[in-house]
Amino acid sequence: MISQFKNYLKEKIQITDEQFDSISADLKIKKFDKNEIIQYTGDISKHGFFVCKGLLRAYSIDSKGKEHILQFAPENWLISDRNNMNNEPSIFFIEAIEATEVVVMPNDFMEQAAVKVPCLQPMHTRLLSNSIRFMQKRINMLLSATAEERYLDFIKLYPNLTLRVPQWMIASYLGITPESLSRVRKELANKHFRP
Amino acid sequence: MEKKQIGKVLKAPAPHMVGDGFRVHNFFPSGYKIDMSPFFLMDYGSKIEFSARKEPRGVGIHPHRGFETVTIAYHGAVAHHDSSGNSGIIYPGDVQWMTAASGILHKEYHEQRYSIQGGPFQMVQLWVNLPAKFKMSKPKYQAIKQAEMANFVLPENGGKIEIIAGNFHNIKGNASTFTPIEMYNARLNKGGKADFTFPASFNTGFMIIEGSINVNGKETVHADNFIYFEDEGTEIHIEALEDSIILILSGEPIDEPIAQYGPFLMNTEAEINEAISDYNQGKFGYLEE
Repeated sequence: MISQFKNYLKEKIQITDEQFDSISADLKIKKFDKNEIIQYTGDISKHGFFVCKGLLRAYSIDSKGKEHILQFAPENWLISDRNNMNNEPSIFFIEAIEATEVVVMPNDFMEQAAVKVPCLQPMHTRLLSNSIRFMQKRINMLLSATAEERYLDFIKLYPNLTLRVPQWMIASYLGITPESLSRVRKELANKHFRP
Repeated sequence: MEKKQIGKVLKAPAPHMVGDGFRVHNFFPSGYKIDMSPFFLMDYGSKIEFSARKEPRGVGIHPHRGFETVTIAYHGAVAHHDSSGNSGIIYPGDVQWMTAASGILHKEYHEQRYSIQGGPFQMVQLWVNLPAKFKMSKPKYQAIKQAEMANFVLPENGGKIEIIAGNFHNIKGNASTFTPIEMYNARLNKGGKADFTFPASFNTGFMIIEGSINVNGKETVHADNFIYFEDEGTEIHIEALEDSIILILSGEPIDEPIAQYGPFLMNTEAEINEAISDYNQGKFGYLEE
C-alpha cells in the first residue's frame, strides 16, 4: 500500500526508490472499517491521510445537529484538518464512508521530506496551490452558483461518487437540500433522457 | 454420450448485505474465480427470517448498463420499480428478467405486505452479460409468473422442471435471451430423477436451493452449495435424496473483454467512463425515491 503513495509521487516528480525509502520511515498504513470515525473535532491530530483504497469524508456538525461535508477523499486524495498544523483543534470529523486503507503521514511530512529530497519542494508548493484553488472554487460555488451548477461541477470533480455515496451526502457537500438535488437530477434527466 | 463431471462443489461464501434487505452470498465473481460466462455474477440469498417491519427493507435507486439482471424468488416477495416505467412484485416461484442494456435505474424493496408480516426470505440474483452488439439495446422487462411458467412433468411422480429460459425436452422456456442460455428450476420429489444434456462448450452450474441430490450416481450435494461442472462431457444425471429445488444454469460463454465498475458491465474502460458520465447527466432517466 505504501507503494501506491510512491506511485502517486512518481506520477508527479522524478523520485527514485532510494529517495522514497529515505523519507518513508515516518509513514504508516492503517485500515478503517466502514463508518469508523478516524478523527474527531477538538482533536489535535499530528497526522494527515493519503487514501490508497476506500473513501473518507471531512465534515462538521452545526449547532442544530446538521452535518456539512467539506471534502470527500477517494483513492489518491490527501485529507487532513489544516488547523492541526497550527496546533489548533480540528474543526472537522474525518470518517470512513467505505472500508478504507490509508497512508498516515505526520503533518509536517512534506516539509521534512523536501529537506531530504529537494525535488519534493516544487511539488509540495503545487499541491498546496491546487488545494487553495480547489477551496477558492468551492467557496465561489457555495456563494454564487445554482444547485445545478454545483452538481455539474461535483460530477466533474468526483465522477464515480454518485455511485458510492448516498444522495444526502452529496446534497450536504453541495450545500443544498436533498430535495433540491433530486429536482436537479430530475431536470437533467428531462433534458438528456432519450428513451 | 459422455458424462459431464463435477468440477468443484462450492460452499456458500460469507454473506454480505446489499442495502438492508438482501443478505447474499456472492458465489462469483468475488466468492470464487470460476468462469460461468455468460453469467457474470450470482448472489445467493440463503434462507433467513426477516422480522416484521413497517418500512420495507431493500436497495434504493441504482443504475445498471450492459447486462441483464435475473431475480428468482423462493421465499418472501420483492417489489420492483424502474425508470422505464415498469414495476411488479416477484413472489416465490416467479422470475424477473430485466434487460438493463443501454441503461436503467431501478429500486428493489421487500414487498409491503411481506415486510409487515416478516418471514422466510430466499432469492437468487444473476447478472447475465450481454454481447457487445446488444449492450446498448433498448431496456426490456420480462415478468414470469410461476403459474405461467413452461414446465416438464417428470415421470413416476418425480417432480417437475420449470423452464425459465432455453429448451428442455422440446419445451421452450418463457424468457427470451440474447445468447443461448438454459435456465431451469428443477423441483424434484424425493427419489425424483432427471437427466440434462448441455453442449460441452457451455459453462454449467447447479445451485442447490433446497434438499440434497446425488449427481451422476457419484457425489451427494446439499442445499446452499453450488456445483461447478467441468467443460468436458454433456450428460448430467441427478436424483433427489429428499424433496429438492435446484437452479440449473448453463450458457454459451461470451468471448469478449470485460470491464466492470460497480453496476456497469461493459467491454472497455472508456465505455465504463461513458456509463458513469451518462448516469450522472441523467441519461438513464429518473425514478422517484
